[in-house]
Amino acid sequence: MENIDELINRLSQDTTKAQLAPHPFLLSLKWMGWAVVYLLLSLLFSGLRPDLMVKLHDPWFDVEVALIAGVFFATTVSAAVLSFPDMHQMRRLVFAPAIMFSLFLLVMFFAWLTDNPPAPLPIHSFECTVSITLFSLLPAAWTFYAMRKFASTHYHWAGSIALLSAFSAGALWLRLHEVNDSITHVVEWHYFPMIGIGLTGWWLGKKILKW
Amino acid sequence: MGDQRAYSEVLKETARFLRPFLAKRLSFTNEVDDLLQEILVSVHKARHTFDGNRPYKPWVYAIAKFRLQDYLRSHYADQLHHAIDLSEIEESVSENVTETTISYESISGEIQKLPEKQAIILQMIHQKGFTAKEVADKMGMKESAIKVAAHRAYKILRSKLER
Repeated sequence: MENIDELINRLSQDTTKAQLAPHPFLLSLKWMGWAVVYLLLSLLFSGLRPDLMVKLHDPWFDVEVALIAGVFFATTVSAAVLSFPDMHQMRRLVFAPAIMFSLFLLVMFFAWLTDNPPAPLPIHSFECTVSITLFSLLPAAWTFYAMRKFASTHYHWAGSIALLSAFSAGALWLRLHEVNDSITHVVEWHYFPMIGIGLTGWWLGKKILKW
Repeated sequence: MGDQRAYSEVLKETARFLRPFLAKRLSFTNEVDDLLQEILVSVHKARHTFDGNRPYKPWVYAIAKFRLQDYLRSHYADQLHHAIDLSEIEESVSENVTETTISYESISGEIQKLPEKQAIILQMIHQKGFTAKEVADKMGMKESAIKVAAHRAYKILRSKLER
């Protein structure tokens, strides 16, 4: 008991000013802002797909892009909430990505059904996964760096969601950049690797976010 | 100054309500104290994530549960490690570790060179005459852990004396 009292005295005499963490909504807004700037800059350098205006008349493409943006939005908010030990007492928000992913899966399934006859597969394959991963490195690094300043008590989930947020921004970039109409290719090489990314984030979360 | 006093009161109150929470889940008083200290340090480290606009207790309990899980995970990993050791030395553990033909005095020099915990255990068993159970009670450890530690100490001593 003496040790506890001693420790409490020592801790209360620590005059180091701790800057109050912003609300998770503000935090996620900041992260999203950076990601959007990065996305726009990347699109400026890599260029938009030339047939974008035509593709925007395809409702399945519109819904797909809107939902991947939704996944990005939901995962970023969820990652910000997961940065707090008590999830800022907004536990339900953490599950928002699950709803977005379910909707996304459903839409991709219907898009695949309506892709009849199927659009020709592009010549390349894994290059798309590599491109998205490379694009995601920077947003993933800054999200992890920012999250380390907080105190996540669910570091596995936090890592997984943070990496999925960065990867979904990458997937959005490639969808707006690459001329490609094959749903099979998109599912296989753009979205399916998200499972691996989630698992990598699960492992990275423990390595980077443990405190 | 007032802030410091208020903060100290908050930490004291936190320690007060966390102690029974931990005592219910842990077997030994020293474990509760160690973990409580660790939790208080964590609360201090994470204080910037609490803004005072939401209830305090759920925030503290989230940290306490997180540290408790961490502690239990490492504790069980350690227990598993001991269990493997026990299966390896099943036969010798059933023997009485407090009886030996060599006198403590004749090898006390070598015993002092052992890791501190092992040296204390052998000293209590062979110099003070305690049983393994009594040593376990005094050190806040399990009897099997004392036997394993004593067995390891004998192993080291044997290899040293045989040289």
